[in-house]
Amino acid sequence: MEYNSGPMTEAMYYVLLALMNPSDRYRLMNVITEVSHGRVNMGPGTLYGVLVRIQKSGLITLSEDDGRRKKYTITNEGKEALQSEYNRLAALVNDGIILKEGDVDESSSKTETE
Amino acid sequence: MKVVLKLRPSNYWRIGEHESWFTDMAKEGLHLRKVGSIFVHFIKEKPKETRYRIDAIHNKEITFEQQQMYAESDWSFVTRYGMFSVFSSPVELNAPELHTDPEEQAYTLKALEKTIVNSALLATIITLILIGLIYFFLFVNSTPTLSFVEGEIIQPLPLFIIIYFTYSLISAAVGIRSLRNKLKEGNAIDHAAPWKRMRKVNLLISNVFIVLAIVTAAIPYIQLGMKETLEMPINDIDVPIVRLSDIEQSTEMVRKKDSMRGDIDRGNSYTYKWSIMAPTQYDAQEHGIVYGEEWKDASGVYSPSTYSKVYKIIFPSMSENLVDDLIEWHGMFEGKEKLLQLEHSSFDYLIIKEDDETKEIFAAKGKGVMYVRYHGYAEMDILLKNVAQQIRLIGE
Repeated sequence: MEYNSGPMTEAMYYVLLALMNPSDRYRLMNVITEVSHGRVNMGPGTLYGVLVRIQKSGLITLSEDDGRRKKYTITNEGKEALQSEYNRLAALVNDGIILKEGDVDESSSKTETE
Repeated sequence: MKVVLKLRPSNYWRIGEHESWFTDMAKEGLHLRKVGSIFVHFIKEKPKETRYRIDAIHNKEITFEQQQMYAESDWSFVTRYGMFSVFSSPVELNAPELHTDPEEQAYTLKALEKTIVNSALLATIITLILIGLIYFFLFVNSTPTLSFVEGEIIQPLPLFIIIYFTYSLISAAVGIRSLRNKLKEGNAIDHAAPWKRMRKVNLLISNVFIVLAIVTAAIPYIQLGMKETLEMPINDIDVPIVRLSDIEQSTEMVRKKDSMRGDIDRGNSYTYKWSIMAPTQYDAQEHGIVYGEEWKDASGVYSPSTYSKVYKIIFPSMSENLVDDLIEWHGMFEGKEKLLQLEHSSFDYLIIKEDDETKEIFAAKGKGVMYVRYHGYAEMDILLKNVAQQIRLIGE
């Protein structure tokens, strides 16, 4: 199923993020782990599925293809989609700021009691 | 190299159960080689701890790129069935999981779901049209109950196959949709899902279908094999048939020979038949002649005859419809004004017709249904008494 805007899966987000620097699929899994600071260890099935899907959607393109070695690059459309998803996520995090304020209130009320 | 075959489960979309089944088989030394359309082929070797993963593939063929990518992570391609590919990896290699994002995995099943849902819709439409056609033919046929009781309904085997096929497709469509929804919600496939119950239920359904298919295919041959025509003995027989001699009560009457087929005088014979709805059926006819006595219209020597049909049906509730169909079948539509329905303590349903020397009785009692046509001068009461005696034997 091709991408038609809207929230991305975590896997898709990290693949696009990793491809901000063109990469071949051999390195891609490691790059994703690096970009996610070791939090995401993407399986080959998931990676292959995402690559097929986002390539069909025009979000990435093959910058090199000698048959055996393929290098993927993010397209402008891909960058836009990634930026848009980033903005969405940032807005989510921003909205969640009240959780932090809650923590502050709790800790301050504790201090007052003491 | 010994190949072991095991019946292929028809619910192929239950990925987790299949994966754990293949893994458990490998532990017993049965290593997956091929998934055929009926059997799964295993090779008997040393038991081994192996992980199996099933992947829905995007293209018609699994690409070299995909195989290579998986192989780099220690997953080897084993076989393919339909839109699924099976990969395996020895446990000791500790290969990374193939799919780490259930939501992404849900996308891999999208194309399969679309194909199966479309096929299920098409099969359902075809089945409904077929059932509609059967219904139509059944009721265009003016004697549906009679055809049903005598087992002359359209051969049910093709219908069984189509219904089973449609049922499988609908189950697949529902199963794949439910799997996709679970993945979309973030629930990963349980690779160690218990499979024994799934296999038992699956095999049970398949076996019931196979038995039904064999039985329905065999019914016409069973009916043919059980059909038997015998010459009517002069003396009494242990068969619930109204005898001409009991009606005529004349010592002067002798048997009138009719056309011979083989060793059997067809005009004085009875045929036993079997069907599921009426396991005991008889057709019988007798012809007599009384020398020295003439028909009143001087058309020749008095020669009375009987023709009977006897049914012991499984469901007594069908008896009235069967009687009505027998009336239709025996050409009564032209003389319906002469039909007379009577209340009679010996019958649940009784219709008679008297037309000069031809008397007809259509009767039902419990599970017994009878049609008797008598040509002669005996009174209707005598005929009714004899029918009542015989129908009592099969009615209970």
